[in-house]
Amino acid sequence: MTGDDQKLDVVLEICGISPLPQDKEIMLKNFVTAREQAALLWGVAEARYEEPGLIFSAKL
Amino acid sequence: MSEKYLTIADAAVAMRDGTTTSVAITQEILDRTATLNPALGAYVEVTADAALEQAAAADAALADGIDHGPLQGIPLAIKDIIAMREAPTTANSRVLDPEWGKGTDAPVVARLRAAGAVFVGKATTSEFALGLPDPDKGFPIPHNPWNVAHTPAGSSSGTGVAVSAGLALGGLGTDTGGSVRGPASVNGHTGLKVTFGRVPKSGVVPLGFSLDSIGPMARSAYDCALLLEVMAGYDASDPNAADVPVPKYSELLSGDIAGLEIGLPIPYFFEHEKLDPEMKEAVLGAVKQLVDLGARSEEFELPYANEAKDANHIIMVAEAYAYHRNDLVNRWTDYGYATRPTLARGAFYTAGDVAQAQRFRMMWSRLVARAFEKYDVMITPSAPAPAEKASEMTVSRRLLTPNYTGHWNLTGLPAVAVPVGFSTAGLPLSMQVIGKPFAEATVLKVADALQRITDWHLAVPPVEALVAAA
Amino acid sequence: MNEYLTISDALDGLRENEITATELVEKAIETGKSLDDELGIYIARYDEHAREAAAAADAVYAAGDEPGLLQGIPLGIKDIITTVEGETTAQSLVLDRSWGPAIGDAVVVQRMRDAGGVITGKTTTMEYAIGVPDWTKPFPIPRNPWNTEHWTGGSSSGTGNGVAAGAFLGGLGTDTGGSIRIPAAYCGISGIKATFGRVPKSGCVPLGYSLDHIGPMARSARDCAIMLQVLAGYDPSDACAVDAPVPDYLSGLTGDLTGLRVGVDTLAQHVGDDGDPATVAALQAAVSVLSELGATVTELALPYYAELNVATRVTSRSEAFAYHVPDFRSRWGDYFQSTRTGVGSAVAFTGADFVQAQRVRRVGQKAVAALFADVDVIVTPTASIGALSLEELGDLGGGWFRSMHTSYWNAVGNPALSVPMGFTAAALPLGMQIVTRPFDEATGLKVGEAYQRATRWHLAVPPLAGRYDVAVRDQGDLTDTAA
Repeated sequence: MTGDDQKLDVVLEICGISPLPQDKEIMLKNFVTAREQAALLWGVAEARYEEPGLIFSAKL
Repeated sequence: MSEKYLTIADAAVAMRDGTTTSVAITQEILDRTATLNPALGAYVEVTADAALEQAAAADAALADGIDHGPLQGIPLAIKDIIAMREAPTTANSRVLDPEWGKGTDAPVVARLRAAGAVFVGKATTSEFALGLPDPDKGFPIPHNPWNVAHTPAGSSSGTGVAVSAGLALGGLGTDTGGSVRGPASVNGHTGLKVTFGRVPKSGVVPLGFSLDSIGPMARSAYDCALLLEVMAGYDASDPNAADVPVPKYSELLSGDIAGLEIGLPIPYFFEHEKLDPEMKEAVLGAVKQLVDLGARSEEFELPYANEAKDANHIIMVAEAYAYHRNDLVNRWTDYGYATRPTLARGAFYTAGDVAQAQRFRMMWSRLVARAFEKYDVMITPSAPAPAEKASEMTVSRRLLTPNYTGHWNLTGLPAVAVPVGFSTAGLPLSMQVIGKPFAEATVLKVADALQRITDWHLAVPPVEALVAAA
Repeated sequence: MNEYLTISDALDGLRENEITATELVEKAIETGKSLDDELGIYIARYDEHAREAAAAADAVYAAGDEPGLLQGIPLGIKDIITTVEGETTAQSLVLDRSWGPAIGDAVVVQRMRDAGGVITGKTTTMEYAIGVPDWTKPFPIPRNPWNTEHWTGGSSSGTGNGVAAGAFLGGLGTDTGGSIRIPAAYCGISGIKATFGRVPKSGCVPLGYSLDHIGPMARSARDCAIMLQVLAGYDPSDACAVDAPVPDYLSGLTGDLTGLRVGVDTLAQHVGDDGDPATVAALQAAVSVLSELGATVTELALPYYAELNVATRVTSRSEAFAYHVPDFRSRWGDYFQSTRTGVGSAVAFTGADFVQAQRVRRVGQKAVAALFADVDVIVTPTASIGALSLEELGDLGGGWFRSMHTSYWNAVGNPALSVPMGFTAAALPLGMQIVTRPFDEATGLKVGEAYQRATRWHLAVPPLAGRYDVAVRDQGDLTDTAA
């Protein structure tokens, strides 16, 4: 796989977003942090069979 | 079906007037299942001994004057993603932990059991209620009893086949995007997707937790009502179960639909280029029959229906992916060839896409709610076409074809699939009746009113050749 | 600065004819006007509208009619909530200026107006209720009245510093990850995020629709109770609003905490060396006050602490991203840098990550519910540090973020009140967070109000506001002179 900066470029392109040059460093830092945060969530074993109440997805 | 008793209602009467017994009906169904299941693939596991014990107990109780109601002694098929004490739950997958739900009843099964029902066995499902049959994985391949070259649809395939071919008088399916109504539609019987939260779904392997529902499948709307009045009601084990009173549905099917306002949403549901003309004609014919009974109908514009289909799919695969992620990473090839790429779609959507799908969902639900200020029910075809040839189905095809069912999972509304005729090729056609939240009684009443003057739901598929071959 | 620091005192004054609403509002207008340049309180002032509303309130009092719960009280509205007086900007160049006027009064604003509240203007926020100031954008920089080199905390910044400085007696904030409680703590006032769904949030620019709350900010917990009484209750216009009965909050403010079980978590282990030692000391002192008031105190540890804060972050970023992505594509540079890079970081999350965050929230709800089997109230610091200087802020990715202890409660939805509990060595206010079971705002308010009967931190006035020569910030003095 590519480095984090290249992964970030890919998802930015997918989302149709072009940050300004002065944002690049912050975005990269945020990207790396965000992936670490997502990994933390997947580490919650108790969530394996969990489902949220509908209030957290949409109320019908 | 017993040759004599097509419906739960008829069988229940016959058991009480001494014409027959649960053991007799159950034995007949077990025999028929032994003959036809190899060709039709309706059941993953038949729990014959337990079923006969349950039938005998039901008969004995009735003889002692203990009557739990019309489901007592009635043979049912339970989709194999729902926990049932007598047999393991496989979800038709090599991936599901064999210990999952072992030896337990889902609340909905416990309720049926308490009502005296007989369980024929665990009915075939698409793997994890998703995907297409994979012949390499060792599970039965279900076939449409009207033409075995055609799909019985999914994912509650086995229950649909069993009800249609007489291998049960009714049963349970689950519906996340149409998995009760699709099989009901192509196998020619009635199937109800309930309001989200109406039936507790604990003890069921989830697909998309905010869309999943358990629904009754049977020949008639009346039978679905008999099942639902036992299945429905709050249970704290499901965080999304609704604490809403349960009416006696069967008593509300009066046949009287005078003054009922029917909305026919266009353009997506009636003017789509991929809508089969025979399907459309049959549905509009049934609507005309309802109008003759005193209902009023009119077309109205319901925008963003195509987007709603996609929103349902995005939410479903994102929720499913969250459930399956660890196994997809570690056991990719244990999943069926069609299941794994479909589940993996959950990885292709961004968090923003899913949040947007939820935002769209709220917006579209309000749009639909506004339409329901004017109409009592909406009617659409249950599907754009009758059963496809099984050999022509591919993983990506469903993304490219319209779908008329997922919309009502997205909005959480009750919707019943009702037989309305046959195509020139002899395949069932079906109409969908959609109602307001918790208005199961209304949609069943409309279906029942039609079934009082038609007998499409009682048509028996031509399985004599299969019987002879066996 | 008004003679009346709190809404409840002012209401007494109005009822007793010691002051008129017009006088009260004129003082507020004057204070706001004189301090606005220095503090960055307002986006827009509605002086004339406020004067008219004050006159109308005086007529009610003069006629001897039963006054509304907020009759004649000057109130500020965070500028992401719509009012009929003018446009809503969300402190952003991006927001369509016709959006607010098309809505008119948000439900909560209408409720405050119906209760006789006097809207003095729209207060500053962090852009779209997220992030930190962007000096390159043409909006006021909200400053802390205790030290104008420091931040107010965000995002309900103008409501926070406006209450502290006396530009109004109460106001509306919104809270998606702490945006009511952090500025309340940093400006030395009280503020409550009620249970998710308790206060309808229609008419508010969304940040994260499953996390957003509108709530009151005022000097005292009693004032928050008065305001919440007006704000709370179902409205169908908000898909997330919950149709649950609203109790009488004021009658529950008995001052008696006998038998109440309080669980304390200093959260010090989560901040390490970043924390200001004054925080733990202040919390311990505050807890002993609760103990003296009759509460039994135990220590506990919040479960899934990091995970739930992250769940809020993943959820709020993703939900906000869905709202902003069309404008991100076309007007990226018009956003504040911290907004675009903060919300824009949602590109890093997959749909399944978002779903997983919701599943973790449910796990957290269950774990928190289990805690509440043994305690009635949980207290923590609102934050483990005082307000940073504006220079230190940087962007939202800064390490200081982990010293904020608010977003945990947005993940699970419980009500959380922040009340002032002391000062740092640098004379910056600190807050205590008081959390209760879902829909039990009453108990949290009771604890806050009882605490404020025994302390006077919430009455401390920043030097800038000029009422006292020296800010009262010595714990001993305060508790000695407690009423």
